[in-house]
Amino acid sequence: MSTLLAEGLLTQQAVDRPPGRSGPAGRAPRRVLGVLLVAGVLWSLHGAGVGSRPVVNPGGWPQVRAFLAAALHPETDGAFLRLVADAAVVTAEYALLGTALALVLGMCGAFAVSRTFWRGAAGRRGGRGWTAARTALALPRGVHEAVWALVLVNVLGLNPLVAVLAIALPYGAITAKVCADLLDEAPRGAYDALLAAGAGRGQALAYGLLPLAGQDLLGYAFYRLECSVRSAVVLGIVGAGGLGFQLDLSFSALRYGEMWTVIDALMLLCAATDLAGSALRRRAAAPHARSRRDRHGALLPTRDRVVPAALAVALLLTTWSWVHLGVQLSTLWSGRAAVQGRLLATAAWPARHDPAFARELWRLSLLTFQMSLLAFVLSTAAGVAVAVVAARPSAERPGAVRLAAHLLARGLLLLCRAVPPPVWALVVLFVLYPGPLPGALALAAYNVGVLGRLMAEGQDSLAPGPLRALRAQGAPRLQAWLYAVLPRALPKDLAFGLYRWEVAARESVLVGLVGAGGLGQLLARQTAAFDWPGVLSTVLALVALTLVVDLISTAARRVVR
Amino acid sequence: MTPAAVALDGVSVTYGGTAALRDVTLQIGVGERVAVLGPSGAGKTTLLGLLTGTVRPDRGTVSVLGRPLAPGGAQLRQLRTRIGVTAARSDLVGPLRVVHNVDAGQLARWSLPRAAWSLLRPRGSAQARAALEQVGLADRIYERCDALSSGQQQRVALARLLVQDPELLLADEPVSGLDPALAVHVLGLLADLPGSARTLVATLHDPDLAVRFCDRLLGLRAGQLVLDTPAAALPAGALQELYGIPA
Repeated sequence: MSTLLAEGLLTQQAVDRPPGRSGPAGRAPRRVLGVLLVAGVLWSLHGAGVGSRPVVNPGGWPQVRAFLAAALHPETDGAFLRLVADAAVVTAEYALLGTALALVLGMCGAFAVSRTFWRGAAGRRGGRGWTAARTALALPRGVHEAVWALVLVNVLGLNPLVAVLAIALPYGAITAKVCADLLDEAPRGAYDALLAAGAGRGQALAYGLLPLAGQDLLGYAFYRLECSVRSAVVLGIVGAGGLGFQLDLSFSALRYGEMWTVIDALMLLCAATDLAGSALRRRAAAPHARSRRDRHGALLPTRDRVVPAALAVALLLTTWSWVHLGVQLSTLWSGRAAVQGRLLATAAWPARHDPAFARELWRLSLLTFQMSLLAFVLSTAAGVAVAVVAARPSAERPGAVRLAAHLLARGLLLLCRAVPPPVWALVVLFVLYPGPLPGALALAAYNVGVLGRLMAEGQDSLAPGPLRALRAQGAPRLQAWLYAVLPRALPKDLAFGLYRWEVAARESVLVGLVGAGGLGQLLARQTAAFDWPGVLSTVLALVALTLVVDLISTAARRVVR
Repeated sequence: MTPAAVALDGVSVTYGGTAALRDVTLQIGVGERVAVLGPSGAGKTTLLGLLTGTVRPDRGTVSVLGRPLAPGGAQLRQLRTRIGVTAARSDLVGPLRVVHNVDAGQLARWSLPRAAWSLLRPRGSAQARAALEQVGLADRIYERCDALSSGQQQRVALARLLVQDPELLLADEPVSGLDPALAVHVLGLLADLPGSARTLVATLHDPDLAVRFCDRLLGLRAGQLVLDTPAAALPAGALQELYGIPA
């Protein structure tokens, strides 16, 4: 499996299973889905005020032009470069520590929420214990890293641990879910045999399943690291330091040259993580067999040293990050944290629920939903289009133009995902009046960077046979692509898009924080006013919204497959 | 004299120092049905690769349908529209409907809008439906290809060849993995595709099928052409020698 697995685990089964649909009637659910989607988009556009009030602010174009022009003239002053380098180290450290902790939490959680573990105890689905464990994960998963940071900073004070935990808690929950799915999907023969031989369930998992799912777990760990880098940048914007903080400072001062220096650093950091991750995944998937023989000529078991070495280096860097950032775990059980926690809990409870506020919450929830829907549609459509160019050229000797277009598209996608959504929102807000539309555009700009790459890699991983067969009979390039590539790539692309919709719903809070509307904007106002009962209600609404989008996207993925 | 369908003159191919074909010279006339036999690794697939232009000769010349196989470009594409290729792995597009897979055989003649339009019509083109009727799959046109059995997929690939209507048919082990009855059926369809001027070159592992469906047998061993005989006049013991089976 490739990176695809990362986002795609949930979609993987969706795509690989050939359904036995027949007759034109087989498309009926898809038609219904299509109609619902179009209706949803029109409703969202209406909600965003398109057609009923001015949305474009033409006065902002010079700013956008100035911002884009600065891309060619990044700030190269030595002192500033040193500042950016230090910031990059801090961001990387947060990402590493957050990922490490998330993996530990996730692995422990994975056992608790894997169907395999519970199946030994109860019926096929896993019974009540499984359902309870799964539901318990929804809360940490539904709350965005930035929101975790806002809450934690009020309990633990300004402390590097805040950023680490803010990444580790939601990511730990996501990791637990994904790893549980991995464990449940691994071939089960060995596990059953161990159980039958009288091993305990934990032992059987460790010996019978973990080795089988190990490679996918490794791939997933690196994918999480890539996500953590992006999260760490976002946390920087809300105050944790690092590149995000620098980016925010430069933006506030409208120093676009400095911004581009930071953005370039971000792109470098993202690209380095991407490359290291995919290289290691490839390595683990096809171990480098340097066969040696013993005296009798028998092949010695070969072990690839690169993967363990990389893991050891990662562990060392994590430890060093811990020391360098000065993370104090003892803060967690210090008296101050307990007092602050209790204060916060009593201040927030009961959550605000007066009718007027509930109505406002409902209105903003709808607005946020619309924002995420628009972001999903825009980013999926743009992703499919860009992936055509960003995919590896299929010809044996691709022309220079095709090769240049491929590299340019990959670079553009990298830029899209390296710039965090709040910054995209600030840029879009130059030319659009505040509301759901700039929020949707900002989320889409960021998501297309993630989606386009996934979709391009999806095309790269398709079996080359069908395309070759059509080219061999003289079909022109575009026609052959239309028949041999698109039908195989599109269901996967849509599944990725739908999956990212859930992520966009979570991230809608980010663009709201900088004024692009929706629940995030409300949350920003409430935290500024220390309105804790209100914050609790809003956070719950955000969790509910993420759950609803999750349900819709899961149902839609089933139709798309 | 009409030009030969296939002409190889002193062709050698090497892969990383290993010779796959050595100094092969042969002509195949228009309308001939030729089986290429030989043990695994003898160079059968390389020979077919030369004829589609996916393998380049290191020495010698290859011409197909009266034209030299020039690398790349519009000329090669033009030539390829007249060559039909099929293999055991039928390389169909799984998620696409049966009828659209068959339509893919006409892509070389279709403009992009025409191709896109056909993809949007559930019933595909009339030619595709007619071809599916010929291979006995008229009742499966709406189904996704990956929902069919391998034998049925093989027949879909044949229907795609029918709509492509090539002058030269290249089949690389078209019946490996099929049960004997199905193998006879598929080869029968291949050998008897309508059109008298059609040339068939098929690599086969089963000499009995080769004798039954082809007019001429070629034998490759270690990259050399060691047997070239009319099927009706196969010398006794020639096959044992070709495959290295002790008599």
